[in-house]
Amino acid sequence: MSNSRQNIKSITEWFEGNNWKAHAFQKQAWKHQLDGYSGIVNAPTGSGKTYSVLLPVFVPYIQNKETPTGLRLIWIAPIRALAKEICLSAERAIEAFGLNWKVGIRTGDTKTADRQKQITHPPQILITTPESLHIILSSKKSKTILKDCKNIVVDEWHELIGSKRGVQTELFLGYMRNLHKDLTIWGISATIGNLEEAMEVLLGPDDGGKRALIKAKIKKKIVVKTIMPKEIERYPWAGHLGIVLLKKVIPIIEDSESTLIFTNTRAQCEIWYQKLLEADPSLAGIMAMHHGSLSREMRSWVEDALYTGKLKAVVCTSSLDLGVDFRPVDNIIQVGSPKGVARFVQRAGRSGHRPGATSKIYFLPTNSLELIESAALRKAIKENKIEDREPFVRSWDVLVQYMMTCAVGGGFKEKELYDEVVATHCYASMSREEWTMLLNHLLYGSQSLRAYDEYQKIGKTSDGTYLVSNKGVAQRHRLSIGTIVSDAMLQVKFVRGKKIGMVEEWFVGQFSPGDTFWFAGMALEYVRIKDNSLQVKKSKKNKGRIPSYMGGRLSFTSQMSEVIKEKIFEFAKGEMKDVEMKKLTPLFELQELRSRMPREEELLIEYFHSDEGFHLLLYPFEGRDIHEGMAALLGQRLSRLLPISFSLAYNDFGLELLSDKQIDVDKILTKELFNPRGLDQDIQSSINAVELAQRKFRDIACISGLVFTGYPGKEKKQRHLVSNSRLLFDVFREYEPENLLYLQTYDEVMAVQLQEVRMREALEKIQSKKLVIVKPEKYTPFSFPLMVDRLREKMSSETLLDRIEKMKIELVK
Amino acid sequence: MKEISLRGEILQLLPEKAMYWPRESAILIADLHLGKITHFRKAGIALPPQSEDKNWQTLSRLIRKHKPKKLIILGDLFHSKYNDQWENFIDMTERYDDVDWILVKGNHDILRERHYDRSNLSICDYALKVPPFLLTHEPDEVFEDLYTLCGHIHPGIRLKGMAKQSLRLPCFFFGQQVGILPAFGVFTGLHVLHPNKDDRVMVIAEDQIVEIENPIRE
Repeated sequence: MSNSRQNIKSITEWFEGNNWKAHAFQKQAWKHQLDGYSGIVNAPTGSGKTYSVLLPVFVPYIQNKETPTGLRLIWIAPIRALAKEICLSAERAIEAFGLNWKVGIRTGDTKTADRQKQITHPPQILITTPESLHIILSSKKSKTILKDCKNIVVDEWHELIGSKRGVQTELFLGYMRNLHKDLTIWGISATIGNLEEAMEVLLGPDDGGKRALIKAKIKKKIVVKTIMPKEIERYPWAGHLGIVLLKKVIPIIEDSESTLIFTNTRAQCEIWYQKLLEADPSLAGIMAMHHGSLSREMRSWVEDALYTGKLKAVVCTSSLDLGVDFRPVDNIIQVGSPKGVARFVQRAGRSGHRPGATSKIYFLPTNSLELIESAALRKAIKENKIEDREPFVRSWDVLVQYMMTCAVGGGFKEKELYDEVVATHCYASMSREEWTMLLNHLLYGSQSLRAYDEYQKIGKTSDGTYLVSNKGVAQRHRLSIGTIVSDAMLQVKFVRGKKIGMVEEWFVGQFSPGDTFWFAGMALEYVRIKDNSLQVKKSKKNKGRIPSYMGGRLSFTSQMSEVIKEKIFEFAKGEMKDVEMKKLTPLFELQELRSRMPREEELLIEYFHSDEGFHLLLYPFEGRDIHEGMAALLGQRLSRLLPISFSLAYNDFGLELLSDKQIDVDKILTKELFNPRGLDQDIQSSINAVELAQRKFRDIACISGLVFTGYPGKEKKQRHLVSNSRLLFDVFREYEPENLLYLQTYDEVMAVQLQEVRMREALEKIQSKKLVIVKPEKYTPFSFPLMVDRLREKMSSETLLDRIEKMKIELVK
Repeated sequence: MKEISLRGEILQLLPEKAMYWPRESAILIADLHLGKITHFRKAGIALPPQSEDKNWQTLSRLIRKHKPKKLIILGDLFHSKYNDQWENFIDMTERYDDVDWILVKGNHDILRERHYDRSNLSICDYALKVPPFLLTHEPDEVFEDLYTLCGHIHPGIRLKGMAKQSLRLPCFFFGQQVGILPAFGVFTGLHVLHPNKDDRVMVIAEDQIVEIENPIRE
């Protein structure tokens, strides 16, 4: 003990010599690390969390100023932008302690030569991503670099935990724990609802070892302001981008040192950038944009310029959500719904980075109903309603990928790998049988044994080592390591070679040479496609289409839905106080006039006819994802009563079932339709009836290596291996429905997308409510945004022939 | 089954995604992509091996039912490089050796000569003239006096209905000069076509063929 106290003293002295005050949480973290604990440090960005877990690794070497050979610390950072900042912090400490250590960064951008050098001559500290670590594991020399490393830090763990990258991290940590019994692992996390669980996921199920959860008692004050529209639209439409309020943004930018403008999509980001420049040309040169499809070079430039205070404004997406401290930023503008409390708080926290400073965030609604969110968010922040981040469990796709990685990188022994994997949180409940099925999947290409065919992947040597000997298989695997699945992308480059970013292939497919499109804030002319990249030059035209990117629509979290409901019920109770709610009074009054404003004790249902058919709308206010499941469930149960076809639409407020047949709603719509009993089975068949599972399967198929997306340079030869996941899904459904990867699709849809637990609760709630069916003459403020939604799932209990009978072909335009 | 008349000939469209021409006693099929599943499996992509079986079952059912004299394949018989599914194909041509097996080569048909030589296939590199038809894989020139029947496209169609309903189905597609057959093989996918008002479209709806006669005009 006295030894560790002595050591803490040396760190504290350095800290205080720099005129920094060591926070209590930092001292606590140092002490625990030096005593051999693992754990989590929960602290906001800008509070010194990096040094709270970085410094102890130096301690044994400070006195004699030693430089040990081999890697001492792996720092896992979820985003590449963060790596550079961590590197600078580490180098500052190394210099201060008079050490001669090296810090290396290894990400997707690192050059091959540097990567090889990192393996033969490892730095003492390596900052890297989960994907890069798995790529290291796929190398036969992985042990050379990993054999000396007994300290691991996982930064921004709250970002990783709710994704499959989190599972990848768990597997890597499992591997390292197996390699070093005395490994210490520290996670850094912002506040989330389930910190205790987050620690268990990081460290594996509690084994009685030394663990600590250290919380910084630093509270940030957040001020939320709404940018109010002059007039509100009484029929809100979700397709707006908030541009009408742009004029009100300019003075905010002018009055601030530096402003971040968060948009929800990359296309919206491009449009806002363009429109801001048009509205205020003096912003040219001091405003930039940042989103995930821009080239690394362009993003780095923006990050550096922000850091050094050269930029007055940056229009960005979630790509600037985490990591880097941009001290000059003193204002945040959120355009459109953030959908969750934690995300909003995190973005707010990007401003006012100095200790004790207040974070200020403006909410800019893109349609009038979003005004409710502003009031709701303020309430949620006040009541500290921060969401949980649910970890993935039993993700067979990631495990199959990992097993392949081990087989490619020198091979694995069955029992050893099994023991390592079941010690992780994700796979703790895996049975022997399931393990064997996955092993057979890799070994025989089928989960049940069958006669040899030409399947080739993994082999088994006489001493029981599973390994890959086929070079093509190994190479294809290394190129597909990772869990982020995106559509096929093309690189966008200037003819002379400078990289600009990436756009989706299907977008490019709509253009021909000479056409102009708008990307990275520039009008670009399509020149040619060459070597898998799109070559462009600057265009003189100032009009052009903006690339849109596929990608899921976010749903309200349960915390968000709860506060939204409370706000909406205020109308009927006559308790509206927020300015935002008062502003919406005309809309609410119209809703009450045409139909009804929802009451706490009721479930509002609207039914009416238009040229398009018969509209059935329900408003549970549970969030888009839950409504998606409810629409499928209700459609399924209704279509069992009579042959009928529905097209389904849903948003965060409610859901719509549209049909060409009239139904007797007063008789048919009973609470029985919402009975949670039989949910499992009914939802299973309704998932099958719509394309939900098919879409979900795509990610699983890519991660587990069932879909090979190809890679540059080898296009032609590989073309015969390209398939689409829709076909793949059908093949499994028909011929191997017991396949674990196929079944995982349903588990994920249930647990992640539809959130079975929340759905069950929502259905229970409906049981205690009164169903109020209103038949308005025509559309209402609440129904309007649902009715105009074109992205729809279809379900039917009519025969195919009956459906075809009623349909028409779309002719060429 | 549905009968249509084209250039004075009667053709039967079959829900097995094949065409029967009674006067010639010929079955026409396109885009079988045999061996595709195995090709993937050889590369370590674990598709269910049983899924390959359906092609063989449908093919022999067609032959037993129609007892054709000729079986004309309009290209993409085999998906890629050689694998053991080719032996199944050879077995099949031997089992039905009273049938004339004819292949008009498609872009996927890249097997080495020796593999073709071992089979009973008669091979035609580009197109086969059987007036009034020109049979080919991928049409690149149009003949006034011949109507082209081909494959390659894997044609499909999108139908729209009331209440925002829509459906995507495989189809036979007949234009003024060219008719396209649906892809026969499992695991082959669709390419959605947008017809002109004079084109005729017959969709495959499970075990029936339905002509779509009410196009939307935009």
